[in-house]
Amino acid sequence: MSTVLSLAGVRKTYGDLNALDGIDLSLPDDSYVSLLGPSGSGKTTLLRVIAGFETPEAGTVSFKGERVETVPPHLRDIGFVFQNFALFPHLSVEKNIAFGLENRVENPITDASVVKTKVRDIIGLVGLAGLEDRAVTQISGGQKQRVALARTLVTEPSLVLLDEPLGALDANLRTRMLTELRRIRQRCGVTFLHVTGSETEALAMGDTVLVLDQGRIAQAADADTIYNEPKSVAVARFLNCYNLFSGAPSDGRFAGPDGQFPLGAEKRFSSAVPGYAIRYDRVGIRPLDAPVAADEVSLPATFVADEYSGPAVNSFFQLENGRVVEVETHLSVAPAPRCKPHARYALVWKQNDALVYA
Amino acid sequence: MSVSATTSETEVMTEPVRKSSNKSVWLITPGVIWMLLFLVAPMLMMVYVSFWTQTTFKITPDLTTKSWVTFFTSETYLNSLWTTIRIWLIVLAATLIVGYPAALFVGLFVKNKTLQTALLVLCVIPFWTSFLIRVLAWRPMLGKEGAINLILMKLHIIQQPIEVLLFSELSVVIGMTQIYCVFMVGPIAFMMGRVDQSIIEAAQDLGAGFWRIFRTINLPLTMPGVVVGAIFVSVMVLGEFATAAALSGRKVNLLGNIIVTQVGSLKWAFAAVVGVVLTVLMGIVVAGLLRVVDLKKEL
Repeated sequence: MSTVLSLAGVRKTYGDLNALDGIDLSLPDDSYVSLLGPSGSGKTTLLRVIAGFETPEAGTVSFKGERVETVPPHLRDIGFVFQNFALFPHLSVEKNIAFGLENRVENPITDASVVKTKVRDIIGLVGLAGLEDRAVTQISGGQKQRVALARTLVTEPSLVLLDEPLGALDANLRTRMLTELRRIRQRCGVTFLHVTGSETEALAMGDTVLVLDQGRIAQAADADTIYNEPKSVAVARFLNCYNLFSGAPSDGRFAGPDGQFPLGAEKRFSSAVPGYAIRYDRVGIRPLDAPVAADEVSLPATFVADEYSGPAVNSFFQLENGRVVEVETHLSVAPAPRCKPHARYALVWKQNDALVYA
Repeated sequence: MSVSATTSETEVMTEPVRKSSNKSVWLITPGVIWMLLFLVAPMLMMVYVSFWTQTTFKITPDLTTKSWVTFFTSETYLNSLWTTIRIWLIVLAATLIVGYPAALFVGLFVKNKTLQTALLVLCVIPFWTSFLIRVLAWRPMLGKEGAINLILMKLHIIQQPIEVLLFSELSVVIGMTQIYCVFMVGPIAFMMGRVDQSIIEAAQDLGAGFWRIFRTINLPLTMPGVVVGAIFVSVMVLGEFATAAALSGRKVNLLGNIIVTQVGSLKWAFAAVVGVVLTVLMGIVVAGLLRVVDLKKEL
């Protein structure tokens, strides 16, 4: 697969803040890439640099094999779908979508009938038929999202940047739009770079998932790898499904303020920040006096509360030092734990389910 | 059970609605009384007086159309009506030409909000002096031996002073444009500042250049500002008399000047005729401008 966009050593600072601190990435042609990052990690800045609204202080941005750092946004063949949609409030749905075709500097389409055909096709693709003449102030959030997407797609860009495209929609609509977005992207055959702060959205959407941390790409891999083998403590934290313990390995055990875990066949990652991670759903709850196997780790804790979410129950336990540990029990594979409040339990996991960073 | 619950709920619902409509009547009463007493009644009175009989020293409430006939048959007065319309159109165009780019600059290129406010306040500073001083200050500027002529002569751009600068229609237009320009800049800059930056960026991203974006996005989105500004300027220029009196050397007689002289010579009926004509003219202009943009929708 060829590369549509590549960034090397891109830097951008705002005052003392390193918004982008040496970004290296390359996006393959015809794929769905999601970029996960917490707020303040530089997501939007990165998109703005790629789109051309900001100029990087250092590094190179190559688009389709050409350097574009100094090319103004209107001459780049990159589409941008804004978080707040940024529709033209004085134009109808149809006119909004036709805007790029009619007004672009490079080969604008002057034949009204060609514009009409293209707009009609894209309206059909995103599912807006029947709303052509509505004012954009008179349509719902999901419809606005579709107009924003159609307006960008109709100009046939080689890369589409989506800045938290589903952030303004309610949960129900969000799930529906996720499938829609994938379908539309496949039909158009372009690369989507979907920026989001939601780990579930990033994992669900991306053929490739990029994780952004403090202005750097912390990990770039497929969703399965990211979820099961986060490369660093920071990535594991964004995924929001790992219990993370600080400390350091020594003499065959990982020792930290929360306890000592004997080390065995864990997956190990070299990382500047040491840590020990165990996924919520890999932890079992047993009575304190139950036997522990040789390849298992046991941690005594007090039950605090649990949360029922339908397919699973999340239980919260408190360690001696006040630290909270979360356990996720999938009801399809195990019965609900039904722990007694304030009772002591043993939290047990297999050594080879844990991840060790050192 | 559920039925009774619904009825009691509707009762609860209707009560506050009636109360609030009562309240809104009370809220609007002082305004309505004020407008009736000091706007509607005087206007009706003016229409009434315009049909009174005027003799040299006396005015009597015997209805006649004599004053109206005089106005519409006298060349002097029709000329003055025409001059008023002409000056109004020229000043409106001039304030737009000078004001729109200024507003565009303040609203679009000045990103700093504080600096934006400071620049707009700067436009208002001339209003801290009296109207008459502002108008009269143009005399030493435009006069035969005024600043502009002196500078141009010193620079050897002209040999003779340009006499048309002062006591002409041009000086009236210059003076009015300066005074009323800020009323055009304000509303346009306000609308320009309200245009979401991401809309401009979206247009850029879709491939449009600066002028295209200006024509297709900025201009239509600031039209309400232009209309509001045009209404301000029109209403003030149409009723103007002081600038014309001070800067035209009596060569430019606007309808306002005629009212002043007629009232000065106690010709109340005739002044009322001119007043009614002026009010109708303003009404037409404002109604026409409001047709251009649906302000209720935009603001």
